[in-house]
Amino acid sequence: MKRAFLGEFEEVVLLTVAVLDESAYGVTVTQEIEQKTGRAVGFSTVHTTLQRLEEKGYLSSKMSGATAERGGRRKRFFSVTAAGRKALVDVKSIREQLWDALPPQTLQLMGG
Amino acid sequence: MGTRIERIEPIKIRFDPSNPFHPRSHHLKKTMKPPQLADRLLKLFCAPHRLEEVQGDLHEEFAWQVKRLGYRRARWQYWREVLGFFKPFVMKRKETAYSITYLTNPGMLRNHFKIAWRNLVKDRQFTLLNLIGLSTGLACTLLIYLWVNDELHIDKYNEKDDQLFQVMANHFHGDAVETINHTPGLLADALAAEMPEVEHAVTVVPASWFASKGVISAGENRLKAGGQFVGKDYFKVFTCPFLQGDRNSIFADNSTVALSEEMAVKLFGNTKDVIGKAVKWDNAEFTGTYRVGGIFENSPANSTEQFDLIFSFNVFFVRRPGMENWGNSDPSTFLILRKGTDIGQFNAKIRDFLQTKDKTKTQLFAIKYSDKYLHGQFVNGHQAGGRIAYVRLFSIIAVFILIVACINFMNLSTAKASGRIKEVGIKKVVGAFRSSLIVQYLGESILMTFLSLLLAAFWVVLLLPQFNIITGKHIHFEFDATLIGSILGITLLTGLISGSYPALYLSGFNPTAVLKGKLKTSVGELLVRKGLVVFQFTISILFIVSVLVVYQQIDYIQTKNLGYNRDHIIHFEIPLAMDSVKLKSAEAFLGEVKNSPGVVNASSYYHNLTGDHGAISGFQWPGKPPGKDIDFSNLEVGYNFMETLGMELKEGRGFSNNQNSDREIIFNEAAIKSMGLKDPIGKTVKFWDRERQIVGVVKDFNFESLYSTVKPCFFQVYPVMPNIMVKIQSGAEQQTIARIQKVFEAYHQGLVFDYQFLDENYKALYAAERRIGVLSRYFAGLTILISCLGLFGLAAFTAQRRQKEIGIRKVVGATVGNVAVMLSMDFMKLLGMALLIAFPLIGWALSQWLHNFAYHVDLGLGVFVIAGLSITFITLFTVGYQAIKAALMNPVKSLKSE
Repeated sequence: MKRAFLGEFEEVVLLTVAVLDESAYGVTVTQEIEQKTGRAVGFSTVHTTLQRLEEKGYLSSKMSGATAERGGRRKRFFSVTAAGRKALVDVKSIREQLWDALPPQTLQLMGG
Repeated sequence: MGTRIERIEPIKIRFDPSNPFHPRSHHLKKTMKPPQLADRLLKLFCAPHRLEEVQGDLHEEFAWQVKRLGYRRARWQYWREVLGFFKPFVMKRKETAYSITYLTNPGMLRNHFKIAWRNLVKDRQFTLLNLIGLSTGLACTLLIYLWVNDELHIDKYNEKDDQLFQVMANHFHGDAVETINHTPGLLADALAAEMPEVEHAVTVVPASWFASKGVISAGENRLKAGGQFVGKDYFKVFTCPFLQGDRNSIFADNSTVALSEEMAVKLFGNTKDVIGKAVKWDNAEFTGTYRVGGIFENSPANSTEQFDLIFSFNVFFVRRPGMENWGNSDPSTFLILRKGTDIGQFNAKIRDFLQTKDKTKTQLFAIKYSDKYLHGQFVNGHQAGGRIAYVRLFSIIAVFILIVACINFMNLSTAKASGRIKEVGIKKVVGAFRSSLIVQYLGESILMTFLSLLLAAFWVVLLLPQFNIITGKHIHFEFDATLIGSILGITLLTGLISGSYPALYLSGFNPTAVLKGKLKTSVGELLVRKGLVVFQFTISILFIVSVLVVYQQIDYIQTKNLGYNRDHIIHFEIPLAMDSVKLKSAEAFLGEVKNSPGVVNASSYYHNLTGDHGAISGFQWPGKPPGKDIDFSNLEVGYNFMETLGMELKEGRGFSNNQNSDREIIFNEAAIKSMGLKDPIGKTVKFWDRERQIVGVVKDFNFESLYSTVKPCFFQVYPVMPNIMVKIQSGAEQQTIARIQKVFEAYHQGLVFDYQFLDENYKALYAAERRIGVLSRYFAGLTILISCLGLFGLAAFTAQRRQKEIGIRKVVGATVGNVAVMLSMDFMKLLGMALLIAFPLIGWALSQWLHNFAYHVDLGLGVFVIAGLSITFITLFTVGYQAIKAALMNPVKSLKSE
């Protein structure tokens, strides 16, 4: 099977959705990323990425949970699909392989 | 994995914004609302299926940010976020299984073009008629627009145009008022000194005041040039930029002249180092050597006064004694009035200004200088139109031509469009919206009109040089915004109107009815089409009659008996200085010319015979009622003047050829009548302390344009004057002229013998009328052509529609003649109606125009008969061709196919 390709931001978003479990939608994902990574992200960027991930089949979504702040509009809740989980695992294993391949002195130099 | 953050709990109660009892309802509505405009913007570009979540998220975020950052900053944040959503993924609409017809679908557009092209090619004759008709109309309109635009800008080049006025004088002859632009030479300074409204005033003797141009020379170069004499404030009044030299240098002494750039280049080859050089100037008493003091830019093409040289008015003043006299009106006076001056009040103030200086009844008033060109006619001392009539006339013609061309286009394309009703039906059945049909048909006709516009622009570029020759103008095809705007507007409008029939009318039908073929042409539609044809006919008739009458009038003017015989008379100028030796030589020259073989008679005169004459007031005559004054035109002539021109004497005799003749005076009939003199011969009159004895009275003659009636005038005699006039025997003109030339060259070495025929000068007086005549003939011809094209197409269309009917008629025994007459009769009826409408209209309009002339032809029945017959003939010819063609068709062919 062709290996999944994930951009850096896509990876972050996908992971965040997985972290948030049941409650992942535009606002929570954005705020979570902002809190965790400390970088300011635009709503639209997150939306675009979520949508792209859904198109790639890593996320599925359903509409529900209208609130007062939203003026009675529903949210689009995202959940990670099997393909998404596999993609995350793939990325993680590649990273680990790479980390493992680091020579010990280099690892030391980096303070790891 | 990091630590889990606190989940943001979804609020469990479903919020109903309309619930006033909800604890947050008020709060949300009043203070926490995100910017509405941003929301509206989002709604505009966001795909509908995404709007809910996006807007929901944004609102939720907004509520949170309000708490965190405060209302104002949250709003800013909101705007930023909304604008951040301006991305393709948000805007992209959800794809559906059904394709959506939207107007700019490229596939559909391609189809529109294809159908349009096929329709054009299918009936080439029709397309061609339509294109030619409309493009001719547009080209005519464009040309006229250019002409009118040029006319409207004449004399408007002066910077202070708003404030620039010319003083006119009303002279009273008995009951009649004559308005002239000559005023006393002392007037300008007096007005500037005494009237606070006058900012600057200047005296000008324009180049056109002289009967003919002078000759300027530098070394071997000799050129004809027009010189004008200007007062010292001239450059504050008129815009006349100097390229070199000081413009006030000409006022320094009486021997400095300023040259135009063109003159300088012609004389010296360039404009460098010309300042200070000497030029010789030959023109009557102003002959002499002058120093070049400056070079000015050529007078603009849109100026009525063209001049090559500028002299100081002082030169004129010094060399023409009599200028210091208030009774002598030769120069023109121009004023710059202070901003905000009420011209009505000012005119009331200067009305009797001359009476304070001189014993005269002449009244003054000022008119805007740039208005004079188009409003240069005066009736009873008031401005009453002028060339503006032609500008209006041609504007009307342009509008009519355009209307005729547009009507044509509409008539033909609507007739054609009714054949496309099946196309409309099928399009509607397969799901075309009405809006897309409207766009298609409007687009098609607009496309066609723009094609015509392209063609028209091409024609205009091609015809403009010829047009300039006819109109005597220098018009360039310049693209200014107004021109482009108006032409595009007109074209678009034509396209819209002519396309509106198929677009709005045909597209509205029920497709089933259309496809079943139940549709009938409505009565209203036929009426409109017939009405339009009648309108076209009417305009064509108007044009034909006008052209005929204008031609008759011009011909009448040019052949009218003026009271003198202007045939076979040449005139030319000789240099004349006021010293006795040169005068003797001039007299000898005149005598030699007179005695040459082939010469009938010869004389001399001062002013221009066919142009303006100065006027003199302050005459005293026996029995003159106190307070009465008359302005007389002053004709200074040589011996044999009346004999040479063949003028008839009513009483008395001509000037005697002896020493006493300078005490003699001759009046015309009009003058004697206005003075009220009985038995004038032998009576003595006085002017400016000069006593003169009346020796003769000449019959009235038209010495100015036939626009005006005969004015009072008087003759004084001098042995020789600078304009020589020679009557020569007919038949051997060329040999005689060659002989005169030899004599001329013997007496005036180095001067060019430059002669003109008097009758040609006379024709030049009516150049405007002749140009109008030629132009209107062309435009009338084109209008008729356009109408004929329309008729031709319409007749073809009718014949085509009635093919079956004609077939059946022929089968049951109609002859070709019957059918042809039947088809032609329809159009003949329309023509009859048009004649009924057109004749009274044009009769009224033309009699108004003819009243502009003091002498004019009477509006006879003849022109109407000719016009009626010719238009009938043209119609019969156009329609008859189609009718006979249709009638000759084999009925079997037209009947066999369904």
